Amino acid sequence: MEKLAEHLWPILKQITGYIYPNEIELYWGMLIVIYPYITGLVAGAFILASLVKVFNVKELQPTYRLSLLTSLAFLIVAPLPLLAHLGHPERSLEIFLTPNKSSAMAMFGFVYAWYLMAVLLLEIWFDYRKDLIMWADKEKGLRRLIKRIITLFSTDTSERAVKFDKKAVKIITIIGIPSAFLLHGYVGFIFGSIKANPWWSSVLMPIVFLFSAIVSGIALVLLIYMVVTLVRRQELVMASLDKLANYLFFTMIVAFSLEALDFIHRLYESEESITILSQLISGKLFVSLVVIQFLLGMILPLGALAAVKLFRVPAELRRHVYFVSALLVQVGIFTTRWNVVIGGQLFSKSFRGLTAYKMTLGGMEGLLASLAFLILPFVILYILVKILPPWEKNRTP
Amino acid sequence: MNRIKGIREKIPDQVKRLLIPVVLVIAAFVVMRHFLVPSDFGKYGHYRASAIDDVISLEIKYSGHMVCDDCHDDIVEVKKMSYHRDVACEACHGPAAAHTEDPDGNKLQAPRERGYCPLCHEYLPSRPTGFPQIVSESHNPRKACISCHDAHDPKTPEAPKECKACHAEIARTKALSHHIYVSCIRCHETPEEHKVRPRDYRPEKPIRRELCGECHAKNAPAAKAIPRVDMATHGERYVCWQCHYPHLPEVD
Ligand code: HEC
Ligand code: HEC
Ligand code: HEC
Ligand code: HEC
Ligand code: HEC
Ligand code: HEC
Ligand code: HEC
Ligand code: HEC
Repeated sequence: MEKLAEHLWPILKQITGYIYPNEIELYWGMLIVIYPYITGLVAGAFILASLVKVFNVKELQPTYRLSLLTSLAFLIVAPLPLLAHLGHPERSLEIFLTPNKSSAMAMFGFVYAWYLMAVLLLEIWFDYRKDLIMWADKEKGLRRLIKRIITLFSTDTSERAVKFDKKAVKIITIIGIPSAFLLHGYVGFIFGSIKANPWWSSVLMPIVFLFSAIVSGIALVLLIYMVVTLVRRQELVMASLDKLANYLFFTMIVAFSLEALDFIHRLYESEESITILSQLISGKLFVSLVVIQFLLGMILPLGALAAVKLFRVPAELRRHVYFVSALLVQVGIFTTRWNVVIGGQLFSKSFRGLTAYKMTLGGMEGLLASLAFLILPFVILYILVKILPPWEKNRTP
Repeated sequence: MNRIKGIREKIPDQVKRLLIPVVLVIAAFVVMRHFLVPSDFGKYGHYRASAIDDVISLEIKYSGHMVCDDCHDDIVEVKKMSYHRDVACEACHGPAAAHTEDPDGNKLQAPRERGYCPLCHEYLPSRPTGFPQIVSESHNPRKACISCHDAHDPKTPEAPKECKACHAEIARTKALSHHIYVSCIRCHETPEEHKVRPRDYRPEKPIRRELCGECHAKNAPAAKAIPRVDMATHGERYVCWQCHYPHLPEVD
């Protein structure tokens, strides 16, 4: 009891207006912010990779495999914050064994499994199969064994087989795009379908989520590509960068318009929740929504990218602009998730008061655990890159 | 036979290999479903049917209030007519199943201490208007509640003088508003009996906008400082409290 009071006291002091007793403390904390953020990156990175294949964008070829691996690394981590938040990870199996069709959350498990196994793993497998066989031939011992196992001991590198690989990749990509849309649209759906919460409940939510996901995915691949190339002391392919930045720019415009549409729609409808929501925006969410998400995460990078497109800017400066913009976008999208998840719980369902969110440092829901979940995908990516080098020069002709 | 063999040869080698993990995953799924899903799952709904038996086999701790009548009819009779008629005996005396089986062996406790009643009666803004609430820190402190209120027939020993005793939230709201000095009965004509039997004797609620006009009309014989509106044009088709909450009138 005393401990509870100690925990609640600082929050109680920040409450304004009237709120119900069970709304004082937020149940969905930092981990639930990270979950849609990471799934967004998965979908975004994958859709970027698909663009390369489906529309045959030559300039982006150097980032194709990197995007796929990035997507996989983040996909592996995506459900972990949820499991950590709920506790009892062993029970998560139940949603597969006894599927409950009326639970959106339970169905997500299947979307996830489908995406992981039928799309990502398969596409990577077909894309790398020939290379893996070649690499395995040159290596010895454990490394060789790992690669042989990954290829399922297949050795067929005949033209027919390789042609089949290529075709398979293409088909999977085509199935993969709607799957990626589903994966992240789903996350938006889970929030958008909560009728009782006016901050979430919106049919636009899945689409808004999706486009912000694509934006964040492209920005992430751009960042990783730049950093990795730098670390490997290689030359950045400027054409690729320009193309990536181009895509980033256009998807941001779509994402921005959608968000603006959502916003205007709410303002125009002016349902009874509008008063408390405007209090929320002008008060507790002002810094994270208006300053970080809108100004720093959207307007500034959009302006910078537009300026670079308009004026002939030397490559050196362009690189810097891209890097900083992508970084800002990343921060912006993270705060977007924050504003949705945390923002949606800050106001009372009585529409008469606001509470506050207090993050702890330690513990499963704390800052440190959250950071760990954000760093983990990069560790996984590192390992994946070691096993499956995504560089063009490693590709066997 | 040959046709099948022909088709088999057409399937690329890597696909055949891929089929192995696919089959493994499916097999694992089937095996796990077989062993981990209880056989009676889904018989009635999305749960294990025998879970019902598990619940049934739990020890019964509560007996309900009907059985008390067999031995404590005097109390049941009193309580039936009281304000606590909707409060179950076991809400105060705890689970009584064992007591009803063997009254002498299993004695029940009575919440005689002061801390108990405020569980329901402490002032909380989320409790409905009119629910009898007190602020226990200032309500006759240091004396057991039951020394003044009979738990089975709670009555206020004397009628509360102020509306605040029961309408704390409204009273507090009004105390912070422009209407702080407008007394409740200026707008609600209240029979004295309302303070004793509030549900049987209801006060009036304003129905005409002219009531507000008595102070706010342009020509009303009231203090000069009171803001005035033109009753004919200001919000003409509505009653005033559709726009102004009367206990906290605001202008925005
Ligand atoms: C079979 C008859 C019987 C039934 C049924 C019964 N009681 Fe009793 N109860 C008794 C008797 C006899 C005593 C007196 C025991 C004593 O004083 O030693 C008693 C005493 C009590 C006391 C007094 C304890 C005290 O501190 O003085 C309470 C309270 C009580 N019962 C509550 C209940 C409630 C509530 C129910 C209904 C759920 C109930 N009883 C049902 C027979 C019964
Ligand atoms: C609001 C709480 C409350 C409820 C509801 C309640 N009681 Fe009590 N009961 C008490 C308290 C407090 C005492 C102790 C009174 C005292 O010591 O003066 C008590 C005392 C008793 C006693 C023993 C003393 C006596 O007055 O004989 C019995 C028997 C009893 N209750 C039975 C019942 C039964 C039966 C019901 C349901 C019909 C019931 N009570 C409902 C609070 C409650
Ligand atoms: C489980 C909740 C609960 C508990 C515990 C409880 N009460 Fe009540 N009490 C009620 C309800 C319900 C009413 C009826 C309110 C109404 O009529 O709207 C009420 C009414 C009253 C009234 C109001 C009578 C009036 O004149 O309006 C008094 C006084 C009272 N209780 C005293 C007590 C005392 C003393 C105790 C402790 C022995 C107690 N209550 C325990 C629920 C409870
Ligand atoms: C010294 C006697 C005394 C004690 C002790 C006492 N009360 Fe009261 N109570 C009164 C009187 C007198 C009134 C009505 C006058 C008033 O307070 O406005 C009243 C009113 C109430 C009311 C409001 C009744 C209504 O209709 O809204 C409730 C509820 C109440 N008391 C509960 C309690 C509780 C719970 C306790 C113990 C924490 C308690 N009382 C202790 C004398 C007492
Ligand atoms: C003993 C407690 C008590 C006191 C004292 C009391 N009330 Fe009430 N009042 C109630 C209850 C209980 C209700 C019914 C609430 C309900 O049914 O929702 C009520 C209802 C009302 C209503 C609404 C009637 C309706 O039809 O909706 C008004 C207005 C009201 N009271 C005004 C007053 C005023 C003014 C005073 C002081 C002069 C006062 N009350 C004193 C308990 C009290
Ligand atoms: C300026 C006039 C005015 C004053 C002063 C006033 N009321 Fe009211 N009250 C109203 C009006 C108007 C309504 C709303 C009637 C309706 O909605 O039909 C109302 C409604 C109520 C209601 C029932 C609806 C609700 O909000 O739960 C209660 C109870 C009530 N008043 C109690 C009080 C009490 C207690 C006081 C004193 C603390 C008070 N009122 C002072 C004008 C007033
Ligand atoms: C007994 C006289 C009286 C009655 C009746 C009365 N009021 Fe008032 N009203 C006042 C006074 C006094 C003020 C405060 C003037 C001040 O702040 O100097 C006031 C202020 C107001 C204000 C202005 C608040 C602001 O922000 O400036 C509004 C709105 C209002 N009343 C609405 C109503 C409504 C609606 C009713 C009818 C339900 C009503 N009044 C009935 C005396 C009254
Ligand atoms: C359709 C909504 C509506 C209705 C109905 C309404 N008002 Fe107003 N009232 C307002 C608004 C909006 C304002 C503030 C803007 C203004 O001064 O016109 C206001 C302002 C006031 C003021 C403050 C004026 C000042 O000079 O500060 C008073 C007093 C007032 N209203 C009383 C009343 C009374 C009395 C009634 C019923 C006869 C009433 N209102 C009905 C909407 C309404």
